[in-house]
Amino acid sequence: MAGKIGVYFDLQNIGGGLDVEALAAQTREKWGELVPVVKVSPVLAESVDEIKADIAANALDGVLLCGASPRVDGDLYRLPVQVEHVNLREQCVLAYKNPDNSPVNEADGAPELLALMARDYVNMGVVKLQKSEKPDSAAITGVARILVIGGGWTGLTAAAEAAATGYEVVLVEKADKLGGAANNIPVASPLGPLWTYKQPTNLAAKIEEVTGDAKITVHLNARMEKLEGQPGEFTAVIATADGPVSVEVGAVVLASGWVPLDEKYLAPMGLGKSPKVVHAAQFGKMLAAGEVTARRIAFVLDTTLAEEAVRKAAGEAAAAGAEPAPTEAAKPASAAAPAEGEEKPFVKEDLESIRHLAYSNAVNSVGMLRLANIICEKTDDAAQAFILYKDMTVPGILERFYKKMQDRLGIMMTKADVSGIREDGDHMVVSCQNTLLGMDFDLEVDLVVLPTGLVPTTAKDVVVEFAYRQGPDFPDLGLFDGFADSNYICFPYETRRTGVYAAGCVRQPLTMDACEEDARGAVLKAVQCIEAAEHGVSVQPRSGDASYPVFNFVRCTQCKRCTEECPFGALDDDEKGTPKPNPARCRRCGTCFGACPERVISFANYNIDQIGSMIREVRVPKDFKKEGPRILILACENDAYPALDMAGMRRKTWSPYARIIPVRCLGSVNAIWVSDAMSKGFDGVMLLGCKYGDDYQCHFVKGSEICAKRKENIAETLDRLGVQPERVEQLEVAIDEYDTVPDLIDGFVGRIMEMGPNPFKGM
Amino acid sequence: MAQCTLKPDLEFARELTEAGGESLKKCFQCATCSVACPLAPANAPYPRKEMVWASWGLRDKLKADVDLWLCHNCGNCSDLCPRGAKPADMMAAARNVIYKDLTAPSIVGKWMSKASGLPILFAIPAVLWLIVWWIRAGYNGGEWFPRAADGRIVFGQVFYGDYTIDPIFMLTFFGACFILFLGVRKLWKLFKPEGTLLVIGKTKCWLWHLVDVLVDEVVTHRKFDDCEDGPVTGKATPNRKYGHAILFWSFAILACVTAIVALGHWGGKIIPMIKIETPMPLTFPVKILANIGALLLLIGLAVLTVRRLRLNPVDHGSSFYDWYLLGIIWLVAVTGILSQCFRLADAIKPAFVVYYLHLVFVWMLFAYLPWSKLGHFVYRTAALVYVRMYGRS
Repeated sequence: MAGKIGVYFDLQNIGGGLDVEALAAQTREKWGELVPVVKVSPVLAESVDEIKADIAANALDGVLLCGASPRVDGDLYRLPVQVEHVNLREQCVLAYKNPDNSPVNEADGAPELLALMARDYVNMGVVKLQKSEKPDSAAITGVARILVIGGGWTGLTAAAEAAATGYEVVLVEKADKLGGAANNIPVASPLGPLWTYKQPTNLAAKIEEVTGDAKITVHLNARMEKLEGQPGEFTAVIATADGPVSVEVGAVVLASGWVPLDEKYLAPMGLGKSPKVVHAAQFGKMLAAGEVTARRIAFVLDTTLAEEAVRKAAGEAAAAGAEPAPTEAAKPASAAAPAEGEEKPFVKEDLESIRHLAYSNAVNSVGMLRLANIICEKTDDAAQAFILYKDMTVPGILERFYKKMQDRLGIMMTKADVSGIREDGDHMVVSCQNTLLGMDFDLEVDLVVLPTGLVPTTAKDVVVEFAYRQGPDFPDLGLFDGFADSNYICFPYETRRTGVYAAGCVRQPLTMDACEEDARGAVLKAVQCIEAAEHGVSVQPRSGDASYPVFNFVRCTQCKRCTEECPFGALDDDEKGTPKPNPARCRRCGTCFGACPERVISFANYNIDQIGSMIREVRVPKDFKKEGPRILILACENDAYPALDMAGMRRKTWSPYARIIPVRCLGSVNAIWVSDAMSKGFDGVMLLGCKYGDDYQCHFVKGSEICAKRKENIAETLDRLGVQPERVEQLEVAIDEYDTVPDLIDGFVGRIMEMGPNPFKGM
Repeated sequence: MAQCTLKPDLEFARELTEAGGESLKKCFQCATCSVACPLAPANAPYPRKEMVWASWGLRDKLKADVDLWLCHNCGNCSDLCPRGAKPADMMAAARNVIYKDLTAPSIVGKWMSKASGLPILFAIPAVLWLIVWWIRAGYNGGEWFPRAADGRIVFGQVFYGDYTIDPIFMLTFFGACFILFLGVRKLWKLFKPEGTLLVIGKTKCWLWHLVDVLVDEVVTHRKFDDCEDGPVTGKATPNRKYGHAILFWSFAILACVTAIVALGHWGGKIIPMIKIETPMPLTFPVKILANIGALLLLIGLAVLTVRRLRLNPVDHGSSFYDWYLLGIIWLVAVTGILSQCFRLADAIKPAFVVYYLHLVFVWMLFAYLPWSKLGHFVYRTAALVYVRMYGRS
């Protein structure tokens, strides 16, 4: 609780004709002793020393800076006490327009509505600081040891990199030797500059580097039995041939790789029916063993035949209308398992599907180029290699590799619809249609090589065996077909289990160079995570945040909502259901306190009462017609708030009746805030957050989705109270949609104007 | 599924590579070239498809491809290729391989395909004309460099028209024509798709189409304008049209001169009035025309040679076929002019030696024409007639 707050106005960053001195006087008058220092500074950034002196002289424990958005100049003010910003520029002055859209003349001074808005924002800022505390961090002694699961190309790289960084490493490999799939790839696509030619993998040297390093302990024939605890102080139990081994680790790199897609999916293309049809991984193995004698080889990247067979089978199953397919039956069971708790045992759903074939197209494109080139090179172009593709996908700089491989005389490529693969005497016949050659044709070949589907091990098995409240496996979003990935575009390597970083083909089908890069990236994340745990601060996206959820267990009813809804499984619980926080697992999104009906969860600097008080601090006029409505906008800090800032900077204005409060995530929005707003007399509440669903952009994965569900409950409650449920709306905005976000606000305000005043207004 | 079974022939791809199409593997089929080509019609574009056929070693497809001959080799496609491939060079290489494959006896084509064949190509006429010289020297009483009765240098003293030059060259010329005729007939058959080709609308005899081609395209060099006005590549295009046109016209002039002289010589035996005696005096109109032709030949050659030397090798290569043709014409022109000069300067030994070489080179130019790049003048014309007959132009 900040008891002595210094309020500073940054004159140069306000403008808009606002009478800043009057604003300062009002603040002084309203808050009295709470604000011993209220100053107007012409250029605040130059007054940092003065602020520091004020802090010392007046024993201030909070500073409120009123001016530009904290996103713009927040880092200029590194002060020893809590700092809060009031965004008077981007989201107040610059975004202001008259309700009737008439032009604003600044020379006449600020319009009254703008002055009211600025006053509201300053008061909200003061109360926010008043209800905020400087968090004491939940620092732990981090274990400087990284667990690497999987001893393939990625795992070996990760282990070597982590050891080189000074960390101890425990490497768990399920097979009896290291190397994994790389054992069959003596020569790979390029692993580094110049990115043009095939490169020997020198796997033996890499294994040597790992096994010869005193910092690295390797467990072969081993698997994970249990991972419990939290980042910085995990306990991993590894099942080895000599019994379970328990080891303390700080973070985990998951590099358990892939298994080839079940051959049944490629049976429509002849796999398994003829020895003259193999898939790429098998061919690679044959090639390495020197067993390839075929001189005419078709590399078929177009998998339409296999995909259509699956589609047809699904269609037939649907037409039969009988019991749903077994996978369909498994789905609801496993989905319900964590939701309904202990009664149902955990069932791992097999997520393998034909889609893994399409996901693996890039790896197969590069791989087939490599294999075709090797076979042509070995035979001095006596061999003919046909590459029949639907999409030749060569990621990034490997374009250079493509060019080099393509140069080989024996390699012939065309886009083609492969319409049939059949055996004819001593050879295979591949039928091609819609080719670049301008004709449909048959190819007679001695061997057909099909793509290998890379199925992540996490789609088939529980790899890590978390001893977590939410179950032993990674929570599946139903979006990634089992790949261990949470928010792939923004945060590669992140999984939804803090401290566990996925790398390599378990995350995404990758070429070997990309696996190495992944391994390095994941190790860096693991190191960051251990460091963050030692400092007691959050990992991204709220990197460095020292606050963490605190539970007031006296009022807890053990309803388990928080433990179930936490997107990261940070909360465990005891038999009775009392939540057990693990601060180092927590990403500080606040979804738990958004969920809590008893409001027992809070962060030192972000809590239910604080936001509720801010809402109550807005002056809501009683006369709807004359003074207009008031709209509360709870805006997600991650995307919606920056979008609003950018809109303001570009002078895209919105209704002056809106009051914006940033929240950590829409997942942290507690229903009580909506009730607060409604009873205060707000006419509408707008929840502005990230997109959710298939292309979700939520930084905390589930926040906006959970909020949408809660909103339905809120709407029901409002309906019962006789308030139109339409007064609460959740709207989605992406960070780059600054041009449309003012329209979203104005549209909502327009709908509220039509609805008329909140029936609770003035009560 | 009764589809054709494709039999790629990598040997063919290798041949193309050696004949100047070394970039054929680079193509990634984006079709920028087909868009860039100012001549390719929108409904039957090239050279994208030729690139993939070449890469797959589809000999039959390329042989039967009329588009190969419609290309006038402006190089816009190579300039604009995002992948650094040279479709223009590949098209030229394919034509070169066809000169070689289409024309019998194919051994000549093999000699013609690389520099190592040059000694044989040179040796044949060199020996031939040396024998003629030796026999004639015997007639002239063992004198290898005889003077005429009036003391002038008369090349006919050694290389006597009636019995040596004319029969040999007529045989060579008509032999080459016959070989070309066989080649064109073969090519025509290849162009025609299997089965019957139905042509709707008015048709006319191929001969009139040939006249159209000659008047509309060959004489005017119209397509060269299209080439140079093609998509702006941002690079100055050295003017090929004038070089090629000048060379073409000089050939036409020199052909006329040869015809007039032959007519005067043989016709003069019947009608004395039109008799032409060689050597003609410098002021004689036919001689003037001949010397104008020679001068134009030099100018055209110089323009084309400078252009080829200035080509950026990154975008445009020059194959042996290119250099052979330029080289042989240079040699014909230079030896022709020098033999006249030495004759007028009364330097008898150099005059006869150079004239002998001139005969060797002229024979090479004509005798090997069906296998050399110069064959384009017949094959391309045939292709242009073909497309006009079947509704494309």
